[in-house]
Amino acid sequence: MALDPSVDRARASKRPLAKAGLQSERLLWPTKKGVFEDEVENMEEALGLTTLEKALAWSQTKSMWPATFGLACCAIEMMSIVSSRYDIARFGMERFSSSPRQADLMIVSGRVAHKMAGPLRQIYDQMLEPKWVIAMGACASSGGMFNNYTILQGVDKIVPVDIHVPGCPPRPEALMEGIVRLHEKVTAGVPPAYQIRGAASG
Amino acid sequence: MATVERGSAIYEGSRIPSPTPTVLVPDPALEDVLTVNFGPNHPSMHGVLRLVVDLHGEQVVGLNAVIGYLHTGFEKTMEQKTYWKCITYPERIDYVSFQYNELVFVLAVEKLLGLQIPRKATWTRMLFSELARIHSHLVYLGTSALEIGAISIFWYCFRERDLLLDLFEMVAGTRMHTRYFQVGGIAEDIPLGFYEQARAFCRRMPEAVDEYEDLLNRNAIWQQRTRGIGALSAADALALGQTGPNLRASGVDWDIRKREPYLAYDQVDFDVPVYGGGDVYDRYKVRVDEMRESTRIVAQCIDRLEEMHGEPWIADDRKVVLPPREELHTSMESLIHHFKIVTEGFPVPEGEVYVGVESARGESGCYLVSDGGPKPWRVKFRAPSFAALEATAACSRDAYVADLIAIVGSLDAVMGDVDR
Amino acid sequence: MSYEGVPGLVETREAFGETTLVVDPARVADACLHLRDELGFNVLVDITATDYLGWGDAGVSGYYATSGGRDINDPMTQGYARLPDARPKRFSLNYHLLRLADDHARVRVQLWLDDGEAVESVVPVWATADWHEREAWDMMGIPFAGHPNLRRLLMDDDWEGHPLRKDYPVGGEPVRFSEAE
Repeated sequence: MALDPSVDRARASKRPLAKAGLQSERLLWPTKKGVFEDEVENMEEALGLTTLEKALAWSQTKSMWPATFGLACCAIEMMSIVSSRYDIARFGMERFSSSPRQADLMIVSGRVAHKMAGPLRQIYDQMLEPKWVIAMGACASSGGMFNNYTILQGVDKIVPVDIHVPGCPPRPEALMEGIVRLHEKVTAGVPPAYQIRGAASG
Repeated sequence: MATVERGSAIYEGSRIPSPTPTVLVPDPALEDVLTVNFGPNHPSMHGVLRLVVDLHGEQVVGLNAVIGYLHTGFEKTMEQKTYWKCITYPERIDYVSFQYNELVFVLAVEKLLGLQIPRKATWTRMLFSELARIHSHLVYLGTSALEIGAISIFWYCFRERDLLLDLFEMVAGTRMHTRYFQVGGIAEDIPLGFYEQARAFCRRMPEAVDEYEDLLNRNAIWQQRTRGIGALSAADALALGQTGPNLRASGVDWDIRKREPYLAYDQVDFDVPVYGGGDVYDRYKVRVDEMRESTRIVAQCIDRLEEMHGEPWIADDRKVVLPPREELHTSMESLIHHFKIVTEGFPVPEGEVYVGVESARGESGCYLVSDGGPKPWRVKFRAPSFAALEATAACSRDAYVADLIAIVGSLDAVMGDVDR
Repeated sequence: MSYEGVPGLVETREAFGETTLVVDPARVADACLHLRDELGFNVLVDITATDYLGWGDAGVSGYYATSGGRDINDPMTQGYARLPDARPKRFSLNYHLLRLADDHARVRVQLWLDDGEAVESVVPVWATADWHEREAWDMMGIPFAGHPNLRRLLMDDDWEGHPLRKDYPVGGEPVRFSEAE
């Protein structure tokens, strides 16, 4: 059966887990026994989320190409996750795509000045769905230590953000934790942030 | 006015474009000129630099750099914070060789205060400054070689970079942006296991540099991509305010560590590499040689610091320096000093100073104006990358597009430093 | 090192081991050419503009330290409540120069300007002044006459106001439980 994106997206958005009755809200933690995990398990049995959707989500996480969006100090730590010690190639993500058309994930690493906010939104719009955004570091998440006339206080004012990674700069392991949590979020069936926030995208 | 006519003679015989030294304007008679935007989001990983380039075929005939995409307002923000709280800010200016901005700021405050620093703190500062220089050159080599096409160098350089950042982490608790230098000395003592690991790093580093040179120096592609590209003569470099490796690659022997020694640089043994060509290859050679020399300095600092084990690492002046935490439980005075310094801040005498140090990119300076209160009145950081980027137009005069990438990489500009 | 011959020299100050030459703003280009050609200051290191609006208005907060330095062994020299010396005009423009030679030297040329008072550009003297002057215009609003390309450098082209002036707000968002800063 051919995968028709318009049909499948409609199906996915018709049955987000919350509408299906999911009460608790957290990221899926497979080895932990908790209310959320139990609910998801029961719901999967009840609703019969298709294997195909699960497979689709699984494959999206296995090779999520980041877009080069290194701005400042966090970019140096982002470069170091490509290095051999923190090897991001084991997640299939070592191919940082300069062209946003071929990128799935935008890791906003560094402080975003108001002058840069326009190009940032342009790059985000040029990415094709599905696309995710990680706000890496304190400056991208909330403006960081710079509460002034020139720094955007949090990149989630202009793009919908899936994961915020705290730190100044976050250690490479912290960024990888953020990426792994994003993968878990995707495999759990949580839609990308632009569907939840209803933000206009390109 | 007579001055303008006399002054414009400097552009004759030089490759600096005229009338605007930083803008290359295409010849109006040229047809078929394509304007391309090397926009702020750049594959060549130099941060957010925007070059508006006019191309005639493959040749660059016009160039205009637009900066400001990372303007963070450091100077305005630091005017609102007390001096102790200010120290976190300068590190993030030049985020690749982060210790230097911290160093220059605390040196400026100490110059105004007239504070005596214990020698252990001086030598530790020197040690970490040189480690920051090695860090900066490793990142430079990794990224510039990556852009020119020598992709594997990136992984080799970052492997050594991780070893280096382990040293920072041992001492200060975090890899980057350590906030380790304080006004009066350094924040914490050096842990015992540090010296062995640092010595292991010093043994490893020259071997690593040999590896990089084996891969690149006599590689035919590297030679063709870097020799004779982006040449900058000594006179042009001086006129354009270049300092540091860019100036030394153009043949001018000027290193602040040797000429105007600060910290304890007059007590260590090191050479300053100077090459005459002024092209991309010479700038690469200067930085690679500097990595070796910095390793020599680090080894000497480790030996001296081991002898100083047990000495104080921060000045004793409680009006300026936070007391050690154990004392807060027993001494009322320490508690009051701690409270005053953290909430109100320590007042710094009225005056203005300029301090310049030899950072990995050139002369990094801090001009500090104090009104006698606890917050700086005006703090300005002289950014070496700012001057380095001004030279882009002069270096790119007859370059091809591919050379432009090599030139911008070799000028080693960090956009946080440029935009502040 | 004698700076007597510098055209437009108003005052010479020495403090903290640094020499500051206060120069008449109308003669700055002559002074800079003299310094570059006769006295050999071949490198312009930095141009900094400072805004002294509100200088001394903060009053006395605890105590002010004296500009003569502090002697921690003599507690009474640790300052007395005083206001800092008054400044002649609102803006000061400082050129940091370096003589890069075997007999190296550094000097600071200082001009005092009112709001809107134009200064002649020194781009023909040192090419590196280009961006430094653009930054001073952008951040402080000091116009440079004769600059080939006086446009905004760090802020957006259509930005209004000069951010580093003292009457320009720091901006940002209000944060709960944070003090005035």
